[in-house]
This record gives sequence, C-alpha cells and structure tokens, in this order.
Amino acid sequence: METGFGKIKKLSGLLRRGEISCAELTQNYLDAAAAENPALNAYVRTTGELALKTARRVDEKLARGEELLPLEGIPMTLKDNISTKGIETTCCSKILAGYRPIYDAAVWEILQQQNAVLLGKANMDEFAMGSSCETSCYGGALNPHNLKHVAGGSSGGVAAAVSGNLAVYGLGSDTGGSIRQPASFCGIVGLKPTYGAVSRYGLIAYASSLDQIGPITTSVEDAALVYDAISRYDERDSTSRGSDAPTADSLGKEIKGMKIGIAREYFDGIRGDVKAALENAVKVFESLGAEIVRFDMPQLKYALPVYYILACAEASSNLGRYDGIRYGYKTERYRDTNEMICKTRSEGFGDEVKRRILLGTYVLSAGYYDAYYKKAQNLRGTIVRTFRDAFEHCDVMLAPTVPVTAFERNFTSLDKIETYLTDICTVPVNIAGLPAVSVPCGFDGKGLPIGMQLIGNTFREATVLNAAYQFEGATRKTAFRAAEMGVRL
Amino acid sequence: MVTHEEVLKIAQLAKLSIREDELDTLTKDMDDIIRFADTINQVSAEASGFDNINHLENVFREDTVIPSLPREEILKNAECQEDGYFLVKKRG
Amino acid sequence: MKYELVSGLETHVELSTKTKIFCGCTTEFGGEPNTHCCPVCIGLPGTLPRLNKKVVEYAIMAGLATNCEIANISKMDRKNYCYPDLPKAYQISQYDMPLCKNGYIPLSNGRRIGITRIHIEEDAGKLVHQDGNTFVDYNRGGVPLIEIVSEPDIRSIDEAREYVEKLQLIMRYIGVSDCKMQEGSMRCDVNISVRPTGSEELGTRTEIKNMNSISYMTKAMEYELDRQIDILESGGKVEQETLRYNETENTTSSMRGKEDAHDYRYFRDPDLVTIHVGDEEIERIRALLPELPDKKRERYRSELNLPEADIQLLTKYRSIAEYFEAACEGVKRPTVVANCIIGQIFRRLENDDAKEKFEIPVSPVDLRDLVLLLDSGKIKMNLLKSTLEKMLDTGKPASELISEKDLGGVDEAALKELCGQSIAANPNAVQDYRSGKEKALKALLGHVMKATRGRADAQQAEKTLIELIRKLP
Repeated sequence: METGFGKIKKLSGLLRRGEISCAELTQNYLDAAAAENPALNAYVRTTGELALKTARRVDEKLARGEELLPLEGIPMTLKDNISTKGIETTCCSKILAGYRPIYDAAVWEILQQQNAVLLGKANMDEFAMGSSCETSCYGGALNPHNLKHVAGGSSGGVAAAVSGNLAVYGLGSDTGGSIRQPASFCGIVGLKPTYGAVSRYGLIAYASSLDQIGPITTSVEDAALVYDAISRYDERDSTSRGSDAPTADSLGKEIKGMKIGIAREYFDGIRGDVKAALENAVKVFESLGAEIVRFDMPQLKYALPVYYILACAEASSNLGRYDGIRYGYKTERYRDTNEMICKTRSEGFGDEVKRRILLGTYVLSAGYYDAYYKKAQNLRGTIVRTFRDAFEHCDVMLAPTVPVTAFERNFTSLDKIETYLTDICTVPVNIAGLPAVSVPCGFDGKGLPIGMQLIGNTFREATVLNAAYQFEGATRKTAFRAAEMGVRL
Repeated sequence: MVTHEEVLKIAQLAKLSIREDELDTLTKDMDDIIRFADTINQVSAEASGFDNINHLENVFREDTVIPSLPREEILKNAECQEDGYFLVKKRG
Repeated sequence: MKYELVSGLETHVELSTKTKIFCGCTTEFGGEPNTHCCPVCIGLPGTLPRLNKKVVEYAIMAGLATNCEIANISKMDRKNYCYPDLPKAYQISQYDMPLCKNGYIPLSNGRRIGITRIHIEEDAGKLVHQDGNTFVDYNRGGVPLIEIVSEPDIRSIDEAREYVEKLQLIMRYIGVSDCKMQEGSMRCDVNISVRPTGSEELGTRTEIKNMNSISYMTKAMEYELDRQIDILESGGKVEQETLRYNETENTTSSMRGKEDAHDYRYFRDPDLVTIHVGDEEIERIRALLPELPDKKRERYRSELNLPEADIQLLTKYRSIAEYFEAACEGVKRPTVVANCIIGQIFRRLENDDAKEKFEIPVSPVDLRDLVLLLDSGKIKMNLLKSTLEKMLDTGKPASELISEKDLGGVDEAALKELCGQSIAANPNAVQDYRSGKEKALKALLGHVMKATRGRADAQQAEKTLIELIRKLP
C-alpha cells in the first residue's frame, strides 16, 4: 500500500529542516494564485500581507528553534462564509459587500493559534446555496481539471484552490453536500464532520441544524490532521460537542473484516462512468479484505424533499437579518423603512437565494406548517433511525458522492429540480448528522474526476477516515491526478 | 398549485419585492419546488421530537458579565449612524 | 342593558439578572446607546445564542410563586418578523411549550385570576423617532423577559389593578424583577371586551398595548369600556383591533402602521437545545423561594394582633417584613416593633424606593434589644421613642445611648411626689385644666417627664396628676 500523499506533514518537515522558509513557501503560493486565479476564480480576495506577516512569525519561531504545531506555517484558505475579523467576509453575496466582521470564527481562532497562513477567502455559491459555485456574485470558480467545467458548490472556491494547488488545504462548509460535491468534482478529498464536532460560531448560517465546517485537502491524511485541529468543543455554540477521538493517529489500521454497507437506493440513479468507478471501488474494498453488506434504505428517497424543506425554512429565518441597517448593502432610494428593507433585500440577494427564502417562508407559513415543515421534521427522525439501524449491520457505508461529474459552465440543460436531484447522495448524511468523506475514485471519459463517499456513524470519523486512507493507498495512482497548475511540490 | 397571490403574500412576509416581469417565472418555480416537496406526503411518519440531533439538553451559561464591545466596533459596519445610534433615515 | 367587563392581561416583566438572556452583556439600565452590546445581541452573521441559566431559574421561581405547573420539557422557538429593533429579524421566545402554565393569582375578593402561561424570551432594542428618522439603540436588545399571560378572568377595573399590583408584589418578593412600570421593567397589554351581564359568550376583544403605569391602565380601561358599551348600545359591532392609549387625551386609538400580517412562522430554534427541568430541580428552586406575601399576611393575621392596615404596610416589601420579623424575635409585644417601624422609621424614608431598600442605620437586632428593654420594664415607652430617634440619628445601639441611671422606672411614691411638685410649680396650668382645658394637663405631664428624664410612665403619671388635681380644694 502506498502512503505519503499528505502535503501538510511533508511541508512541515521542509520548514522544520530549514529546506524552505515559510516566507518563501507562502510567496510561492501567492505568486501561483496571482498567476492562476484570474482563470480559476477560486479566490475572491487574497490576503497577501497577512499571509506574509504570519509566515515571518513562523520563520522567527523556527529561528528560535521552537517546535512547530501540526498545521503551523501551512498556506491555506477559508470559504468566504467563515468570519475573519477585519477581513471582508461576504458569502459571495452583494448584500454583504464590504462587511468586515468584528470577531473571528471559532475555527479561525484555532487555526490562527497555529499560525495558519491565510492566503485569501475562497469563492462560494451565494450564502452556500447552490451546487456549482455559479450563484456567487463574483461568478463561479472553475474546475482545475477542465476550465470549461465548474468546480462545484457551494465550496467551489476552496475545492478549486486546493485542487489547483493554490492552497495546501481549505475549510469549506457542508449543509447538503457543499464540501463533498466540489471535492468530488475536483478530484480531491472533502470531509463533512459529524454535526456538532466542529463549532459553528462564526460560520455565517445557511441551515443551522445541518451546517458543518470541514476540511478540503488533496489527501486523507491532511483531512485527518485538519479535522483533529478544528474539532474542538466550543461553549459559544450550544450545539457543539467537539470530538474526543483524534483521527490522524489511527490511520493505517488494517480493514480486514470491516463491514462496508451498500444501500441499494444510493446506486439506483447512477450510470455509465460513475457507475463503473463505484463498482470498481467496491472491488477495491473487497480486495482489502472488507466484507460487503447490501441492504435497502427506502426512506432515502425522501431525504431530498426533507432537506429542501428544512434547509430553506431555517435559511429564510437566518437570512431575515439582512436589512442594511447594521451592516452590508443598503438600497439608495426608498420612501419608508419597509420599502428600504424590501428593496435592499431584493437588490442584494441573488435569484437562487430569493427562491429558497420564499420556499422556506412558504413551508413555515400558517396553513402549510403542518404539511411541510412539521412533516419534514418527522421524516427527518425516520431517516435518522434508518441510518442508525443500517449501522447495526456495517461499520461504514459506501456510496457515490454525486451521480454525475462536474457540470459544464453556465449549464442550462438541468432545470431547478434536476439540479437539486444531484444532491441525492450527499443530503441524507446531513439530515442524519453523520460524518462523511469524499475521496476520488476514478475519471469519466472526459477526464473529469469521480468521487466516492464513505459515511460513518456519529463521531466515528476515525473509522471513516481510516477506511478512506486504505482506499487511497490502494488507488492513488489511478484515482488521483494532480492538476497541472499551481505550486508543485 | 401555487398562485400569484400566494407568492406575493409570501414575498411580503419575507420582505422581498417581486417585479411584475419576475412574477410568472417565480410562481412557476415555486410551484415546481412545492410539488417536489409534496412528495413527503406520500408516506406517513411518526412524530419525532423536535430535538437536537445529538440529543443535547440543558446547555447553559452562567449569569456572569462579559465586557461588551466598544461602541465603535458595534457601529463599525453601519453605513448610517448618528450620535452613537444606528440610523434609519426617513427616506433615501 | 347591563354589561360586564371581561379582561385578560399579558404582562412582560424584565428579569433582574446581571446579564442578557443569550450573551454576557450587562443588563444595567441606562448607559450610552449601543455600549452594552456584542456580536451576539446585535445579531451579527455567524453568531449563536447561549441561554442564561439564571433566566430559567427566575422564570421557574415566578411560576412557582404563582401556583403554576412547571414543564419538565421545554424549548425555545423563533418568532419571525422584521422590525429595526429586532436585529436577527426573529425574537427567540417560547411558543407551544412554555416553562410554566396553569397557575393563578388570588384576589382579595376571593376570586382567582388564572395564569395561562409564563414563558421566557428576549427583549428588543429601543427605537427613538425624531423627524421621521429612526434611531436604534440595542442596549435593551437581549434583556431577558418573562411573559405572563392571564386567563380572561378579570371582571372589573379594580380587579385588573389588584392583579397587576399583586403580580408586582410577588415578583419583587421573590427577587426576580423590580417591576417598575415607569422604568419599563414591567409592561402590560390589556385585552378587554364586554358582554351582556349573565352571558356566557365572549364579546369581541380589543388589545391596548404597552401600558406603563397602573393609573393610565385603569383610565385606558375605563375609556375603552365606555367606548365598547357605546358601540354595542347603538347597535354596532366592536372591531377586533390593537389600540394604543393616548395619555394626554385619555382616549384609545387604533395602532396602524404595525404589521397586519401577523404570521410569525414559529419553529424551534435549532441553535438552542431542549430545557429539561427534573422534579428534583423544581423542588430545589421551590426551596429558594421566600415566604410569599399572601402566606405572610395570613400568618401575621393569625399570630399577631395587628390592624390590617399595618399588616399591609409591613408586608409591602420583603425587606421590611424580614426586618420586622427579625426585630420581633423574643419580643413580648410585636405591636411595639410594628409601631416603631410604621411610625418613626417610615417617617425617615421619603418614598417607596427608600422603603423598598429599607437602608437604615438601626439593625433589626438593635431595635429588638431596645424593645426588650421595654418588655423587661427597664424603660418606658417615652424613653424608647426618644432613644429610637437617637439611634436613627447616630446608628449607635441603645446600650450606648441609655445610661444606667435612666434604666428602671419611677416607683409610685416618687411619682406621686413629682406630680405634686409639678402641680405646685404650674398653678396656671392647673387652673386651665380645672376650667376644662384638657390640653393643659400636657404641660404638667411635661414637667414630670422632664424631672424623671423620661423614665416615668406617661400614662401612670397622667392618672396620678388627675387624681391629685381632683383632690385639690
């Protein structure tokens, strides 16, 4: 089995041994971003000054002979819905143009303590609502493997930056697949932690009971290292549990006898290259000694409508605050307060956001609450139980990440509902609050990456990441291809 | 079937204004999405508590003062302010 | 046709916790605008609420003190609406699972006013309107409130008044709020309707919002009662509407301009978790409650021989009652203690605020010691009163102010002699008294009291003087 795909440990080693200074390493990434980002549109703003300042601090530490923390000095990026004090944070929406948070997100506090080198804020679908990054007010991020295709969404910018070697790792957020799908489209690794494992304090909310922040990296080991750093209990988030099980140290355990569950419904909708890649993945696990367990999960088919109802309902409430009074965009002409608020919001929000706010308002409104919101909550309970039962029969579940590969830019062939349907494999995991990682498992005829998802039981990130690690080791040469751009190590 | 009136009423609740030329497409979009959402009514589900997914309960903080932020910080992102207040001008 | 009033009240009470309900900002009153704020209470994107434990405790205390059932399981909900004083565009409140329900407040006429529910929620910021512009101050945003909803059991304006006063009394006693309507820590919305006396059906009700004084509330109710009766008598129908009370004109008028579409789209707040209050916890909190005013008054009525008016005065504030009780320990006649408080001590406290604080230089133990001297016969009432004045002036205990020679009374023989001396020294006063001027006796008494430095028993001295005068030729 091959190992050593992790960039973080490799770079950390180079820094410690003085083979490269942090300033030089950082400058390399900044130069690459300057060169490639105009085409890729991964970054919506770069923070070169801050990055170099942090890098100098790390170099000073090294000069004093001090030990480096695991993520110290590593150039990275944050999705633009993660609050960074004093640095513009917009969720790629016009309505937050110019907004500079007066506090740091919990995860950013943690990473700053490790002198993480922030290269810039990454592109995303507006308010994390979308599957292509194209609803961003800055235009979409593109796929480093093929610039005619999207990077995916909503964490498209982070995925493009990491896959395009313009950042070593990044933090995205996942509400219905927004870490895993772009990771899948860009042929890299994306982990959505168990709900509650990572603090949401400072994450600009889309759907509070579904959102989680997680790492996007080029290897499983890197994902494990970043997850271990950020999965801390935070008292400012009442839904925070943190995680008490570090994952990086348990990578490499054999998975002979591990039970890999396959729910028929996940594979019902996939065809062609994606189907072939997934079937091949199953064979890989068998060759690693895992036992394949097949079963049905008929409740899965309700996961999508349940997701859209609950997510949009929460979003309609979370986004009510954007009225121009305390921050953000405000309309110029109005006759009274009500008109000011309505115009501000209508001019500041994009179409997809408006659609979801309307849907959310609808399903919560008197007369519809019982049939939609309440019913969806009940069904959510059913889906949670379904997964709990499934994990009585297996250790991890295997599924496609997305039934398709990266969409073309400005795709119009898929209508609204068809686009929503591509979330079918990722969404159930958010409904159930479970951890899931997407790892690359092949390419389609056009050379676009295909992703495979491994889903674990609550707070079983170690198990999931280890299974992913083993798979990666067996398939790296065929399933992973570094994009021909950015900083090559 | 979602109607124009319903869309306008919902928009009013959500503080969004809908232009005449948007109303048709928007109503159709909403109708499609609601029909999609309606599939949940094909199946029955037992009532589940509206609970936190990890069944957390009784997460509290102590009644101890934490110093507030200085006013300049609080007002920092407000385009319109006066005498320490956020200002909503009568008309713009 | 006779009409009867039917009314229910929704009362918002600001809890006197140190910090806001969902963040650590201070709840101190006043302060320059927007200086008691943080990212959470101004609802910055990405911020999350954390529930203040004391708020839950105080709400449960309020529920127990009003005979409510406390919910074992309860949750927080979002009430969604858009208004500049609400930074998140939703208020975190409780909708269908409040912390307390099914309580009551007994009135002096024997009737009970039911309490439907008590729930916790956050207050909004404050808006100041000037020349059509709106100035927003979020200091008050996030201050914890309990909302107390009564059943429509109130049948008269007097009952409404008593209900509010009772509520204030109870909340102050248990220490959860200072309930000062003028300062805004207590606000009432009055629901009011009329119906023909004897009818079982409820008439259409109107709601008068934001009453911030009891007297305005009663005036508003009077006006509204008359207005509704007039409408019905002239064959019209009362419209259900939200009203405001105009203080200067003493009228109610419709509150237009507020949201008509009141669809709050309540749903459980996903950022907060279930509140689980076990029975043990409820009992622990119940044990924290002091003796409540009603119970205290009943106990005073049965154990002490005090006039009702005095009982009311002594129990008006918990601070006074507890002072009184401490000062009565071991004392033979609690009435003496009561009179000291209601007479001399109250005279030194200029207003209700001062009475509630009850900060006086004489400790209850000191007062008790003074009264015990009276009980044991070592001093008489006059000396007690004058000593108390000195104690209030100096803060010194009685033992420092009464010298040895003042202790002990005057015996009968000595008293007779002193009275004789007084009569001899004041012939004019004696003459006045004998010709019917009763007041002249006081001058003679004064002479005796002065001579005995107040140690004489005034009543005994008067009796003796009268006897001696009668015996005069």
